[in-house]
Amino acid sequence: MSVERTIEALVADLAPVTPLRPRRGLALTLAAAVLACSAVIVVFGLRDDVRALAPEPVVIIRCLLLAVLGCASSHAATQAARPMVGRANNGWAWALAAALTVPAAALLLFMRLMWSGAAAGPGDFDFSLTPWCFGISTSAALLIGGALVLWLRGGAPTNLARAGWLVGLASGAFGTLAYSLHCPSNSIYYVGLVYSATVALCAVLGRLVVPRLIRW
Amino acid sequence: MNFDDAALARLMALAQAGDARAYAVLLEQCRRWLARFFRNRIPPGKIDDLVQDVLASLHAKRASFDPARPFLPWLAAIARYRWVDQLRRDYRGAEVELGADQAVDSDEEVITARLSLATLMGQLKPAQREAIALVKIEGLSIAEAAASTGQSEALVKVNIHRGLKRLAAAVESD
Repeated sequence: MSVERTIEALVADLAPVTPLRPRRGLALTLAAAVLACSAVIVVFGLRDDVRALAPEPVVIIRCLLLAVLGCASSHAATQAARPMVGRANNGWAWALAAALTVPAAALLLFMRLMWSGAAAGPGDFDFSLTPWCFGISTSAALLIGGALVLWLRGGAPTNLARAGWLVGLASGAFGTLAYSLHCPSNSIYYVGLVYSATVALCAVLGRLVVPRLIRW
Repeated sequence: MNFDDAALARLMALAQAGDARAYAVLLEQCRRWLARFFRNRIPPGKIDDLVQDVLASLHAKRASFDPARPFLPWLAAIARYRWVDQLRRDYRGAEVELGADQAVDSDEEVITARLSLATLMGQLKPAQREAIALVKIEGLSIAEAAASTGQSEALVKVNIHRGLKRLAAAVESD
């Protein structure tokens, strides 16, 4: 078919469309995150200190960092649905850098502990909850990532690998946030190692799986 | 008559609202712009096909244009995406089609293809460049390329895979 015929066919097929609104994608992702948090609370219950509205400092910090990382990466992921050359959207990278301060702090504290020879606090190195963390967080991330992918399929992401990383990062951060509302651990080592590994796992899964789902 | 970016953005906004006349004008302008965009990037014989591909994508994804933003960066991103897609298809096709009975349509086409490829291939590591050139362009088998380069067959495959990924990334970040 010639280009002229193609143009005629496309013009004949024209119908009004509503411009894509990334804010709707962000709202959908946040709604899925709220739903995931609610499901975790209903099924597994809230931490006692959170229920009493007096959370431990480590819980406040981890929840805020995960929420900021989730929001920043969701925002970047939904913006990626609109093709554009030469426009960077790197707020998520700063949020990720901020979130990485937790494993960095855990590493520094661990080194100090080793250096001083002092005894670790009770529960500091209790990693028995790790399978629950992985299971609950990734299940919640699946719900959130699914919503984001569904929305992205209606858009036109042109950098599929980047979109995959961002979807994985956003869903992993929100999924881990949902788990953290239940997680009884107050250990900075646990948060630094297991939470970071969970978010990283979700990001890698996003990179591997999402591009195939949003290719157009 | 050539339209500036603001005029094209207005035409696209009208097209999103269903204005067929504006859309026809817009597609004609896009066609010219795309032909220029692809002129030094792909063989001349393939330009029309790729332009049609991009126009069809523009049509399918027209809701993703934000009327408050410039039009040409949006079109360029779609054009680049389709171009990378074409590049991948060509490489995959070359794996199947390149052989003893390979037909060449015109010298100009071959030269242009090699020029645009040469620019991209210059960004690869020597081992990747060699593996891709031998297998994907010259049409050698993996075993022949391994014997020719001194790399193991597994390494040839790895170099081709990584090289193609790097090529795609080079095109995307162009």
